[in-house]
Amino acid sequence: MSISILRALGYLEVALCVAALVTLVTRKQISDYAALGTFLGVRGLSNVILFWLNFYTAAHPSRTQSLYNVYFGVYWISFAVESVLALLIVYGLFRLAMAPLKGLQTLGMLVFKWAAGISVAVALGSAFTPGMSGLKYLMAAISQLQRTQSILTVCLLLFVTFAIRPMGLSYKSRIFGVSLGLGLMATNDLVQSAWLAFNPNMATAYNYVNGFIICLVLGTWGAYFALPEPKRRIIVLPTTSPFLRWNQISEALGDDPGYVAVGGVPPELFAPAELEVMRRASLKMVTQFPAPAEQPQLVSTSSAG
Amino acid sequence: MKLIVRSLVVALAVTGAIASSYAKAPATTAKTSAMPVPTCAPNTGGCGLGTW
Repeated sequence: MSISILRALGYLEVALCVAALVTLVTRKQISDYAALGTFLGVRGLSNVILFWLNFYTAAHPSRTQSLYNVYFGVYWISFAVESVLALLIVYGLFRLAMAPLKGLQTLGMLVFKWAAGISVAVALGSAFTPGMSGLKYLMAAISQLQRTQSILTVCLLLFVTFAIRPMGLSYKSRIFGVSLGLGLMATNDLVQSAWLAFNPNMATAYNYVNGFIICLVLGTWGAYFALPEPKRRIIVLPTTSPFLRWNQISEALGDDPGYVAVGGVPPELFAPAELEVMRRASLKMVTQFPAPAEQPQLVSTSSAG
Repeated sequence: MKLIVRSLVVALAVTGAIASSYAKAPATTAKTSAMPVPTCAPNTGGCGLGTW
């Protein structure tokens, strides 16, 4: 395994992380992509610490064990934080993508919160096996969380790709660019999970793939934020569009309905003017619709006259 | 363009689905990063730290 290539990829990853973060800030997109900015910050910082630990261990081999323990902690804790942040990025992307369709946005975000909550609970529960140590449990739980987050991310990417036109977006939109990068990363995570099951070593050939993919992802994000974004198109939907119909239905869901008093209303609740209006209206209704029993009498009166 | 992007995304999703079926449970995964993965438990040796 060529260490120099791996190290170069590591340096490039940190540089691209910083570049993407700086572009995000200078383009004033940090408020919309706060989770992504935090993700890049955490990733850049953790990588710098991991690099430093490796170099420090090379210089002080006698302290390898204690430094490895720190490396282990920094790696897995930052991994857990990044997994949660990735979930928040997916949530934010969905919110931004669905902004023009407020009803569907509200409904989708509610569903997403439930799906994310259940995913976290399942990840924590399924990682548990009898006789497992705390650290092994931590690794398994983070891995499960990462896998469920990856599946959610791939689902989001599929949704954004296939529903891009009704949302007024294009393939040059930042929402698509960020989703594509996340999707690439999520797919790689799933493939890597299968790889590590058969090759559980610290440095494997898959590190090259990892290094290449993360550089590609960070480069994609940096490019999408550096280039000007086309404006969102005016969304024109046919009146028969299911998007429009579901949006209208979703907007009505959860609204406070109106109430009608059907009985037990004391007259004191009404103002005198209201009572007068109702009395006059009642009188008019009586004259307009005479009782059926009265009609023969009227006929007989007119015939007698 | 549309077809290419859609094909790429579908390929990513299918790859992810196939890969997730191969992983053992509870599977260990790792960051998408060039940084080596600390797969050894703490206090069981350096696991190759300081050599890359």
